[in-house]
Amino acid sequence: MAHKIMIVDDAMYIRAVLKKALEGFAGNLSVLEASTGKEAVALFEQEKPDLVLMDITMPEMDGITATATICASNPGAKIVICSALGQQQMVIDAVNAGAKDYITKPFQPDQVLEIVKRNLAA
Amino acid sequence: MNNSMRIEFVQPFVDSAFSVLREVAQAKPQRGPLSLRTGTTFTSQELTSLIGVTGKVEGVVLYGMSLICAQKIVSKMLGMPITEFDEMASSAIAELANMITGNATAGLEANGFVCDITPPSLVHGIGTQITTTVPALIVPIITELGDVEINISLSLANGKD
Repeated sequence: MAHKIMIVDDAMYIRAVLKKALEGFAGNLSVLEASTGKEAVALFEQEKPDLVLMDITMPEMDGITATATICASNPGAKIVICSALGQQQMVIDAVNAGAKDYITKPFQPDQVLEIVKRNLAA
Repeated sequence: MNNSMRIEFVQPFVDSAFSVLREVAQAKPQRGPLSLRTGTTFTSQELTSLIGVTGKVEGVVLYGMSLICAQKIVSKMLGMPITEFDEMASSAIAELANMITGNATAGLEANGFVCDITPPSLVHGIGTQITTTVPALIVPIITELGDVEINISLSLANGKD
């Protein structure tokens, strides 16, 4: 069965880097992309992905608000925050919003794969 | 607003710039001499990324560089040489500024200054004037790929000292 993963980041560069990292995943994956929190909320409701890789600093709606919005109507949603913001307070806010994991940019492809595998298996 | 720039705001950006440039561009950065910009007007370089900071510390951080330097950094970030500075290259340079500023906020938080950042904006071309609220401290980051000039114009938000 193919896993559906949604990448949410306003930076085209990061979306490309994450897609490239996911090419190392052993199983079947289909990848969806959104570039704002608002787009992510709409696409999640439409596609119900198995896992979301979510940036925080984005136009229209930030990733923490998008995470909270998605988790309010989908309590089992698996969302991993991928952000350059490394403050403890931001990690706490992300977890309180419903995020399952947090990875700080810049990241290595192996880190991304490990975190994706762990959360898909959970 | 407390209209003064504090030297303690600078080190988190230097540490973060070194760490991010080493990791994403395999660069060997060194810090050049620190200076204070006279006045509050910044004139853009060939490529300038701009990020706003809000929270206990507020203001703007600008990253200026030559186009050649940007092309060399992006080539490293993408793992292949680039022949034109397209939308992907612009995104990579904007993200570089985002990563340096985002990582620096962890250092600011460790000093008691919790803050957030805005999405980056990119200014192409020399000569655009950008006015900041406080004079910027200028930190040149010297690498074999070229120099990145960080202009840090931050101050304590009103009543948050």
